[in-house]
Amino acid sequence: MNTMTLERRRLGDEPSPTPAASPMVVFERVQKTYDGRTLVVEDLNLAVRRGEFLTMLGPSGSGKTTTLMMLGGFEQPTNGRILLEGQAVERLPPERRDIGFVFQNYALFPHMTVADNVGFPLRYRGIRGAEAARRVAEALAMVRLDGLGERRPAQLSGGQQQRVALARAMVFKPKLILMDEPLGALDKQLREHMQIEIRRIQQQLGITMVYVTHDQSEALTMSDRIAVFNDGRIQQLSDPVTLYDRPENRFVAGFIGDNNTLPCEFLGSENGLAFVRMKDGTRLAASGPAHPARSDLTVSLRPERLGLDDAGSAENRIKARVLDKTFLGDRVRLTLEAFGTERLVASLPAAEGAAVLPGRDVGMAFSAADCRLLAR
Amino acid sequence: MTQTLSLTSSASAPNLRAALRRAERPGRLGALALALPALLFLIVTFAAPIGLFLTTAVRNPEVRDTLPQTAAALAGWDGDGPAAPGEAAFAALLADLTRAKEDNTAAALGKRLNYESAGMRSRIMSVVRHLGNFKDGALAPQFAALDPVWASPDLWAIIKRNAAPVTPYYLLTAVDLQQDASGAITRVAEDQAVFLGILGRTLWIAGLVTGATLLLGFPTAYVISLAPARIAGFMLLMVLLPLWTSLLVRTTAWVVLLQTDGVINQVLLALGLTTEKLQLMLTRFGTVTAMTHIQLPFTILPIFSVMKSIPEGQMRAARSLGAPPFFAFWRVYAPQTLPGVTAGCLMTFILSLGYYITPALVGGPRDQMLSNFIATYINRDLNWGMAAALAGLLLVMTLSIYLLFLRLVGAERIKLG
Amino acid sequence: MWLPAYATRSERLCRLAVVLFAFAVLAFLIGPLFVVFPLSVSKDPFFTFPIREYSWRWYADFFQNARWMHSLVNSLVAAAASTLIATFLGTLAALGISRPGFPARKAVMALMISPMIMPVVIVAVGAYMFFGSLGLTNTRTGLVLAHAALAIPFVVVTVLSALSTYDSNLSRAGASLGAGPVSVFFAVTLPLILPGIVSGALLAFAVSFDEVIVALFLTGADQRTLPVQMFSGIRDQINPTIMAAASLLTTVSIALFVLLNLIRRVKRA
Repeated sequence: MNTMTLERRRLGDEPSPTPAASPMVVFERVQKTYDGRTLVVEDLNLAVRRGEFLTMLGPSGSGKTTTLMMLGGFEQPTNGRILLEGQAVERLPPERRDIGFVFQNYALFPHMTVADNVGFPLRYRGIRGAEAARRVAEALAMVRLDGLGERRPAQLSGGQQQRVALARAMVFKPKLILMDEPLGALDKQLREHMQIEIRRIQQQLGITMVYVTHDQSEALTMSDRIAVFNDGRIQQLSDPVTLYDRPENRFVAGFIGDNNTLPCEFLGSENGLAFVRMKDGTRLAASGPAHPARSDLTVSLRPERLGLDDAGSAENRIKARVLDKTFLGDRVRLTLEAFGTERLVASLPAAEGAAVLPGRDVGMAFSAADCRLLAR
Repeated sequence: MTQTLSLTSSASAPNLRAALRRAERPGRLGALALALPALLFLIVTFAAPIGLFLTTAVRNPEVRDTLPQTAAALAGWDGDGPAAPGEAAFAALLADLTRAKEDNTAAALGKRLNYESAGMRSRIMSVVRHLGNFKDGALAPQFAALDPVWASPDLWAIIKRNAAPVTPYYLLTAVDLQQDASGAITRVAEDQAVFLGILGRTLWIAGLVTGATLLLGFPTAYVISLAPARIAGFMLLMVLLPLWTSLLVRTTAWVVLLQTDGVINQVLLALGLTTEKLQLMLTRFGTVTAMTHIQLPFTILPIFSVMKSIPEGQMRAARSLGAPPFFAFWRVYAPQTLPGVTAGCLMTFILSLGYYITPALVGGPRDQMLSNFIATYINRDLNWGMAAALAGLLLVMTLSIYLLFLRLVGAERIKLG
Repeated sequence: MWLPAYATRSERLCRLAVVLFAFAVLAFLIGPLFVVFPLSVSKDPFFTFPIREYSWRWYADFFQNARWMHSLVNSLVAAAASTLIATFLGTLAALGISRPGFPARKAVMALMISPMIMPVVIVAVGAYMFFGSLGLTNTRTGLVLAHAALAIPFVVVTVLSALSTYDSNLSRAGASLGAGPVSVFFAVTLPLILPGIVSGALLAFAVSFDEVIVALFLTGADQRTLPVQMFSGIRDQINPTIMAAASLLTTVSIALFVLLNLIRRVKRA
């Protein structure tokens, strides 16, 4: 494997880039179809940086898993190129890519012990005997499963199986680990625990990980960067905070977190702020990618960014009628009517919301930065 | 993959399809390569032999091979005319039969021509016997002296017609039709029309067996599907075990049971249900009973596996919605068992059509099915053409129901045990 | 019995009748299989009950008779050989058919399954004629080839069903960990579908071991199998030695059946 890579490098017609700067993975104009009519992955261009934790997030059928399978070598791109450390790998079979893969259902070999499962990749890399045993023990210790090597996968809990899968995927020190919804089968508490564990191991080893999930909170918790997939395209690629605060289109705004989406009309922009007119004529200051006069514009407003009007510095102040109030423990959730007949939801800390009563009018305020002007 | 994107640009679609084909070709070929040895094996040892055998249903080599000169001489003769052919034909026939006598092929020719018209064998053989007596001069009168029929055109027309490499004779006979002297297709005489009867009998027995297995099997499958796991497992064993036992052994058991001095008669006598021993062997009843016994698991198992998959809650829901028990069963439960009933019944019907052993050992002469006649034509009459024609008939029926099975049930749904 | 609590009285009666009926059908199914055993150890040469005196004489007859023994050996050899061929070819075919990109799957399956539903007489006569032209009638080779063809669908169906519960992610996992396709097959796939392959092999063995018609057409006196020997015996004059032979055949069938169920149980555990 290694000699092979070296030879390929030497033969390559491009000068070899410095490893630290070059991306780990590059997708170039990648397309994928299963039936020759519909594209599951439409036109994918993506660079995965060395050492980063990149999450592909999206609803089922958005193309994220297919993308991961193409990177793993289990699906072939119909068109386009995939570069792994600068080498085209579309025709390289999975066993020669040196990529660790953690599957949705773990795919542990049921007829082998945990130690045999973890030792499996070492067999094919010429690592045997004491060295193999040492590496297996090390990997099991890394995932805190010391001493369970002689068990069968069926004798382990779901969380333990997940750890075995992780140990198996990293025991051979791959350059890249891919994970396909690895926590989907675990209950909420265990899932949150494993999120932290995986992130810890990734940072400890400094390994590049590409992670697929449909769970937005998982993506926000773990990732360095998130690629949001929909309809076979990447809708937005950015770090979690940017993704949450500054969604670039309505899909991302709706998919990540809760959002109030309200139709509006573009009036003009000034000093980096956009001005829009709502249905009832209210003028709001908004932010977001500058849009020409498109007819399908909306503003998106997160419920928790709507506050009671405390005469602060927020650019926007509106009057709304409280239709309903729901107590959620630490917060209260208000259903409001504003801008004529539009409904919107606001979420306030419980103490702040205590005084708000259904049926009354209330003043709300929010900043222009939190009011995102988006096109479809 | 639900939210796939439809391509609106029609120009790129063919390229995409081509790209897809290119990308998938190695995988497809690899998969096919794995199945290829078995496919080739089945084609050589199974499909090709059957195909070759079936072609004998239309093959007609006897006249062509044995009477080549006669066939040539008759080529220009008008077979529909009122007159026998000219002297040349008689001379050619004489030469061909002289040769046939040396090659020992005259008997086969006689046998073949005898199918077309009774008496042909003796006419041919009589000429062969008297080959030494023919003298120079006009041959026609000398032939007529052996048998006056040689002077009529009918006999020559038969020879001329069968000089063709293929014949519809066997296929027509298999459905009780014949070609008369003029070549027109007519029904055979009432007393010779046996094959449609055999075909009908085969379908009828297969139908009876299918009906009987359904009648016995449906309630049994129902009870097994309701029984607690332990008992159901035991009941299933009782269904599967016979499937594993040799068909011959099961048929043997029925021979023993059905004998005049057999177990069934002993029990009936002991219980006083009958005062004299019943004839059960060599009867239709015995045949159908034994076949039903053998086929029952094939009907029960698919019905059971479908019943097992019907959620219990449905009957509860039907009852809570006000349906009386029988109504709930008939309108809610029974329709959902249809896929299993279809699979089981079609399978039993297909397999019943091809029965040989059981009718041969348990049935009487009037219970023999198409398979038995095919075997008889091969073993006793050495009439390959007739055997192949009947096999073709059986095969057409079997394959049409098999296709129906594939369409309604699908090959991938077949399960064993 | 097995009724919901809300059942009415008439429903209970109805259900009782159906349950009794079902057990009667099961008795009908299983009863005849056990008729041959007692008769095979009855001293009387007539097939009557009750049995007055027990004896092993018919078994002694069977094992001392050269013709019976010869046919038993023939059957075992032919069944073993055709099982090997059918298991190898059938397993390979099932592996191919189960791949996602397999071309014309329906048509190939229809052909693969067809020996199962083809009237055996047609198969037998076809093989008789075709193998005759190759000089393979009255040889063991011909019989083995024809039996292997009949057994292939049984292997294909069982191995396919084993593969349908096989998680193809396991193969992917193997590949991602560095094992090539052949290594993945032997290290991961084969151990997991082995019970299916063995079940298929057992079925293939049973198919060949019990088959009469093809053997009738393709074998001469030298290759005569046990079922053929029995069949001719029943046709001529059914005698108690045939009962002994039938009992032995049934014992073999039951043994295969028990073996199969043990394999399934091990697999589930």
